[in-house]
Amino acid sequence: MLRLPAFAYSSPKSLEAVLATLAEQPGRARLIAGGTDLLPNLKHGIEEAGLVVSLKHVPGLDGVEEQSDGSLRLGAMLTLEDLANHDVVRARYPALASAAGQIAGPHHRRMGTLGGNVCLNTRCVYINQTHFWRESLGYCLKKDGSACHVVKRGKRCVAAASNDTAPVLTTLGARLVIASAARGEREIDVGDFYTQDGVFNKDLQPDEMLTHVIVPPPAKGLHSAYGKLRPRDSIDFPRLSVAVAFVLKGGAGTAADPGKVHDLHIVVSALASTPVKLRKVDELAEGRTADETLFEEIAAAAYKQCHPLTSIDGDPAYRRDMVPVYVKRALRDALASGASA
Amino acid sequence: MRTLRFRLNGDDAEIAAPDHWTLLEVLRYRAGLTGSKQGCDKGDCGACTLHVDGKSVLSCITLAADVDDREVTTIEGLVGPGGPDVVQDCFDESGCLQCGFCQPGMIMAARQLVTEDPNADRDTIKAALASNLCRCTGYTKIYEAVENACKRTLAGDTGRGGRLADLGGGGDEARAGRESA
Amino acid sequence: MAGGIERKSINRTHGPDAPHGEFHRVGKRARKVDGIGKATGQAVYADDIQLPGMLHAKTLRSPHPHARIVSIDTSKAEALPGVHGVITGADMPTKYGVIPWTPDENALAVDRVRFVGDEVAAVAAVDEDTANAALRLIEVEYEVLHPYLDPKESLERHDPAIHEGNKKGNISKHVELEFGDVAAALASSAHVIEDDYAFHGTAHAPIEPHCAVAQAGHDGVLTLWSSTQIPHYVHRALAKVLDIEAHRIRVIQPHLGGAFGGKSDPFYFEFCACLLAMRTGRPVKFLLTREETFYTHRGRHPMDMHFKTGCDADGKITAVDSKILIDGGSYSSFGLVTTYYAGQLLCGPCHFPTYRFDSTRVFTNKPPCGPKRGHGSVQPRFALEIQLDRLATKVGLDPIEFRRRNFQGSNVETVNGQTVTSNGFVECLDTIETASGWKDKRGKLPRGRGIGMAGSMYISGTNYAVYPNDMPQAGIVVKLDRSGLAMVYTGTSDIGQGSSSVMATIVAEELGLRMDQVRVVAADTDLTPVDLGAYSSRITLMAGNAAVDASRKLRKQVQEAVGEHLDVPAGRVILADGWAFDAQDGDKRIPSREAFELAESKFETLAAAGSYNTPERGGDYRGGTIGASPAYSFTAHAAEVEVDFETGEIHVEKVWIAHDCGRAISPVQVEGQIEGSTYMGVAEVALEDHAVFDDPAHPEAGLHMRPSLLEYTIPTSVDTPELEAHIIESIDPEGPYGAKEAGEGPLHGSLPAVANAIYDATGVWMTKLPFTPGKVLAALRAHESGTPTGEEA
Ligand SMILES: Cc1cc2nc3c(=O)[nH]c(=O)nc-3n(C[C@H](O)[C@H](O)[C@H](O)COP(=O)(O)OP(=O)(O)OC[C@H]3O[C@@H](n4cnc5c(N)ncnc54)[C@H](O)[C@@H]3O)c2cc1C
Ligand code: SF4
Ligand code: FES
Ligand code: FES
Repeated sequence: MLRLPAFAYSSPKSLEAVLATLAEQPGRARLIAGGTDLLPNLKHGIEEAGLVVSLKHVPGLDGVEEQSDGSLRLGAMLTLEDLANHDVVRARYPALASAAGQIAGPHHRRMGTLGGNVCLNTRCVYINQTHFWRESLGYCLKKDGSACHVVKRGKRCVAAASNDTAPVLTTLGARLVIASAARGEREIDVGDFYTQDGVFNKDLQPDEMLTHVIVPPPAKGLHSAYGKLRPRDSIDFPRLSVAVAFVLKGGAGTAADPGKVHDLHIVVSALASTPVKLRKVDELAEGRTADETLFEEIAAAAYKQCHPLTSIDGDPAYRRDMVPVYVKRALRDALASGASA
Repeated sequence: MRTLRFRLNGDDAEIAAPDHWTLLEVLRYRAGLTGSKQGCDKGDCGACTLHVDGKSVLSCITLAADVDDREVTTIEGLVGPGGPDVVQDCFDESGCLQCGFCQPGMIMAARQLVTEDPNADRDTIKAALASNLCRCTGYTKIYEAVENACKRTLAGDTGRGGRLADLGGGGDEARAGRESA
Repeated sequence: MAGGIERKSINRTHGPDAPHGEFHRVGKRARKVDGIGKATGQAVYADDIQLPGMLHAKTLRSPHPHARIVSIDTSKAEALPGVHGVITGADMPTKYGVIPWTPDENALAVDRVRFVGDEVAAVAAVDEDTANAALRLIEVEYEVLHPYLDPKESLERHDPAIHEGNKKGNISKHVELEFGDVAAALASSAHVIEDDYAFHGTAHAPIEPHCAVAQAGHDGVLTLWSSTQIPHYVHRALAKVLDIEAHRIRVIQPHLGGAFGGKSDPFYFEFCACLLAMRTGRPVKFLLTREETFYTHRGRHPMDMHFKTGCDADGKITAVDSKILIDGGSYSSFGLVTTYYAGQLLCGPCHFPTYRFDSTRVFTNKPPCGPKRGHGSVQPRFALEIQLDRLATKVGLDPIEFRRRNFQGSNVETVNGQTVTSNGFVECLDTIETASGWKDKRGKLPRGRGIGMAGSMYISGTNYAVYPNDMPQAGIVVKLDRSGLAMVYTGTSDIGQGSSSVMATIVAEELGLRMDQVRVVAADTDLTPVDLGAYSSRITLMAGNAAVDASRKLRKQVQEAVGEHLDVPAGRVILADGWAFDAQDGDKRIPSREAFELAESKFETLAAAGSYNTPERGGDYRGGTIGASPAYSFTAHAAEVEVDFETGEIHVEKVWIAHDCGRAISPVQVEGQIEGSTYMGVAEVALEDHAVFDDPAHPEAGLHMRPSLLEYTIPTSVDTPELEAHIIESIDPEGPYGAKEAGEGPLHGSLPAVANAIYDATGVWMTKLPFTPGKVLAALRAHESGTPTGEEA
C-alpha cells in the first residue's frame, strides 16, 4: 500500500473549535475537507501533518445562500457535485458549474469540496511523486530540497495552480471569507489570494481557514464559460484551462448582431503558481462587437501572454499553441450559452 | 489508536485502528472485508469504491476516522438474505466480470446510479462510472449490465436470489428441469 | 525452439462436431463459473490472503539507471525492532530468466543495477511501515555508470556493457531471415512504399498490482500464492534459484486481477517472499505499490521500424522488407521470442511471395520490456497495415479490396514456412465492410472525419514450450463423483479471460452436464496437472483439447454402463443437460448422478487424464519453430475517427471488429476479449505512453515519467470508443470443436485502423506513435503548408 504517515486526528464540532485548534498548533494542524488532495499528498510525503483536523462535523459550511445584495454565499464544505448541480449556480454562473463538473471524476466530486479546491496545493511532475522517486531525482525546493527541476537555477518554485474553480471564480470577481481565532473574519478577492510561490501559493496563514466563497450578483448580460485541456475526459487535472466572463450589451442576440462586449475578464491556469489574469484584453474588447474578428484578436493577445512550463506533463509548445484555441472556444461558448439568469 | 464506531453493512461495528489508517485499510485488514480492492491507493482508479451513506466514495483516500457514525456499505453488504443484489446479478449475467478486480468498485458506482436514476441512458451511465477504471472489458458489457439492472429495477426486481436458494429441493429431475446454463 | 529434441506427437484432435449431435453448452451465452464470486467480493485475490503471523515485505530499489554496487550494509535495518529478515543479492546469486537460454536476472541485484527501480534488497517486518523504515536504514554505495537511454546508442557502444560478459555487447538478440529474393522482387515491383514507423512503449496496467504470499511449512513444503499467469514456470524458477527440489514447492494462483502478459515472468518478489518466509519461519506477503508495478514492467517494446513493401500493377504484394530496432530495457525477459515475433507473425492473412526481416533487440537502462497482449507483433503489424493502405492508394484500390486480392487462403503454407489451417479473414472483411457502412463512408465523409481498416493474424499458442521437452503442453484431470459432480483439475491460469469457464463448458458438453454440475480447480501445482500457463493465447486450443480428451474417456465409460442398464447399445446413449438417455427413446433416461453411480460400479473410481501436444509445425530453418502454432486467428478492424484540426486531438468514435476465433465455445467471452483487446489497442494510439526521461544531460535521466494511474492515462469509460464485436467461426481442424484464440489477435488492427482512418479524414499518414495531439497538429500543419515531413509522404 501507499501508506499514510502517522498523525493524530480530531473532528471538532464547531467552527470556533476548528479555529482554536489551528491557533494552538499552527502549521502542525492541517485541515481536511474531502481529503482528495491532502491524503495523496501526505502519502507522497510532500505535505506533513501532526494533527489532521476534519471539517466534516462542522455544521453550516456546506450551504448555498442567496444574500440580500443578490450575491451567492457558498460554504467551503459544499461538495463539487452539489456545486455543479446547483440550479442557481448553473443559471447564473454556468462557467462555475461547468468547471466544478469537470473536476476529476464523479466520486472525487462527491468527496471533494469547494474549499479544498480553492486551497488545492500546486502541482508539478517533479513533486507529485513518492519519496523514492523524488529522492532518486534529488529533492526540489518545494519540499526537502534546494533546486528546481523546471526552471534550472531558479530560486522560486513554479509548480502550477491546477484547481479548476480558481480561474472561474477570479473572472467572476468572487471574494473569499477567511477566519481565524486571533483576527476574526477577513475578506479577500480571489484575484489577490494566489501568490507567485509554488511552495505555498495562497494568502492564508496556518491559523486561518476559508469558510465561504462569495460570488457577486451577475451583471445584466453576463456571459461566462470555462474550457479545460486534459488527456482524458475524466479524472485528469487541467493541462491548460481558460475561464472567460464578459457583459454583453445591446445587439439582437443574433449572429449578425450579437451585441457589444464590456468588462471582459480572461484567466488562464495550469501555467504558473497562480491563475494568470490576461492583461489589457479588457481594453482591447471594450465596447466592440462580439464576433470572430474580435475573438481572434483576443486569442492572439492571449498567446503572447501565456508561457506554459514543463511543470505540467505535455509538450509546453503545444500547450501554448492551445491557448488561443481554448480562449476562442471559451469566448464562443460564453456567447452561445446566453446571459446569466 | 482510536475505536471507530460506524454502521458496517447493516451492523454496528467497533474497530480499533490508528488515526492515520484509511477506510480501505481498516475494512480489508482489520474487518476482514476484502471485497473492496486496492489498485492505486491514491484516488486514481476507483477499485476501492464503496458507499458512505449510500454514496460512492473512494475508500483509499477516506480516513476511517471520518466515517464515525456513518453507514458504510461494501460489495459484501449488497448481498441480502435472498442472495446477490440485482446489480451484482446483472453484472454476472452480462459476462463483464473478466478479471473482476475493478468490479466491486464498479458495481458500487453502478448501484448508486441504478438507485438514483433507473432511467439513465448510456451517456449518463458512462459519466457515472468515469471514476472507475476497468482494464479488461472495454466497458461495453458493463454498460449492458447496468442497463439491464435499470430495466429490472423498474420492473420491481431486486435480484434473482442466490444459487443455493435457486437449487434448493425437488431432486435431480426438478433441478434438471430448471435451466441453469 | 525444439532444440533438436525428437518429439513424440500425442496430438489428438477431435473434430469440430458436438459429441451428441448438437451442442448443449458450447456456443451458448452462459454465465462464467467464477462470475458471481467476483461480483459479490467472495473471490479471493492474492492480497486478500491473510495468514496468522504474516510479515510484510518491501523492496529497496536503485535510484540510478546504471551503477555498480560497491557495498551494501544492512546491519542498521536488521537491528530495527519489528524487522525479521533482510536479504540482498548475495542470498540468491543464481541467475534465471523465463527463457532458459537467456538467464540474466537476479532476484536481487548482485553487483550491478540496470534501471531506476531495479531491486537491491528486501526486508520483511511486522508491518509495511516498519519494512519501509528499515529500507531507509540500508546503506548502499554505488559507483554510477554511463546510462544507456537511447537504443541507437546501445547498438553503437557497449563500454561498459549493461550485461558484462555479453559477447554481443549491448545487443540482446539479433535475427535476420530472408525468404525468397526480396531485392529482386522489389526491383520489379510496380509500386514500392518505404517509410519509418515507431512504436513508443506501453504498459499492461492491470488494475491489480502484483502480490505474492509465501509460507514455508514446517513439513518442508514451501507454498507460494502469487498473482502470476505462469505458475508452472514460476515453480521451475523457484526450484532453481532457491535450490529446492521442485516436489517440495507448491505454487498457487489465486484469482488474478488482470495480467495481459505483465505477470508472465518469474519475479523478484516471488523469490524474495519465499526466501524471507524460509528464513523467518513466518508467512510473508509482498504487495507492490502501483509505482512499483511500473518498474516491474515487461510492457510492450518500443520499436523503430523501417518498412519497404512492393506490389504489382494489379495490387498483388510482391515483397515485404523490414528492419526493426527494439528497445528491450534492462533484461531479456521474453526478448529472444519478441525479436523473432517482430518478423515471424506478419505472414498472413495477406500472402507475401518474398519476405525479409532484420530485427535487433538491444539493452537499455530502463525497466525491462516483455510480452504484452499481442506480443512482438502489434508494432510491426501497425507498420505493415499502413504500408498496405498506402499501396492500395497507389494502385487505386479500396483498402478492403486490396486485402481481399492478397488473401492467402486456408490450408496454406506461409512464405516463412508456417502452416495456416482455417482462415476466415475474408468473412471478417465482409463483415466489417457491411457493419461499418464502409462503402458509404470511405473517402466520402466530411473533412476531419474518416474511416480506416486493418487486418491481422495471431497464434493460438506457440507450438513449443519455452523449455524444450517431450511432455504434453497441456494436461487435465477430470474426476466424476457419485454425487453427480464433475471435478476438473487444470493447470490453466484464469486471468480474467475465462479459461476456467471454457474448461467447465467443454467438460459439461462432453459429459452431458449442467454448468452447476461441474467445478474447476485451477492453477495449483499440487492439485492440478501441468499446463504451461496463460500466454500466447494457448489455453482454449491446448487445454481445451486436453479437456475433450479426458472427458471422452469418461464419457465412454458412462455410456457403456448406462447402455447396459437401459439395455441399449452404448453408442445410443446420449449425455445431455444432466441426463443420460436413449437416443431413440427419450423416456428411457436416468439423471447423470445415477449414470455416474452405474459407471463407478462397473469401472471403479472414475477419473481420467487428458493431454494435448502440438502437431509438428514450423519452418525448416533456425528459428523456424518460433511463431509456429497449431492454428491462427484472423481479425479485421474498421475504425471511424474525428480529427480536430485546431487541437490535433483524435476522437475514435467507433470500432467494428470481426474476429475469426474458430468455434466460439463461449460467445460472450469471445466478445469480451474482442472488446477488451480493441479498447487496449486504441488506448495505445494516443493516450498511453510508458516513457522514462531520456535526456542524459538532465538529472531526471532514467526516471520513469508516469509511474501512476493518474499520469499513465488508461482510458476511462468516457474515453473509450463504441465497440461492435462480430464473431466469425471458421472451425479449425486443430482446436477443440474447431476453436482458436480470441484474447490477443483482436488488439493488433486497432492501431493501424486508426492511423488509416486519420489518412481518410485528413490526407496525412501518421506513422510515429503515440499520436499525441501536438504531433498530429504538427503533421496537419506541415501537410497544409505543403512541407513534407517524416509523418507524411
Ligand atoms: C485522481 C484525482 C484527480 C483530480 N483531478 C482534479 C481536477 O481535474 N481538477 C481539480 O481542480 N482537482 C482535481 N483533483 C483534486 C481534488 O479532488 C479537488 O481539487 C478537490 O476539490 C479538493 O477538495 P477536497 O475537499 O478533497 O480537499 P482536501 O484534500 O480536503 O484539501 C485540499 C487542501 O485544502 C486545504 N483545505 C481544505 N479545506 C479548507 C478550508 N476550508 N480552509 C482552508 N484550507 C482548506 C487542506 O488543508 C488541503 O491543503 C483530483 C484529485 C484526484 C485524486
Ligand atoms: S516547479 Fe521546481 S521547485 Fe516547484 S515542484 Fe516543480 S521542480 Fe519542485
Ligand atoms: S485504490 Fe482507491 S482509487 Fe485506486
Ligand atoms: S474486469 Fe478486469 S479490470 Fe475490470
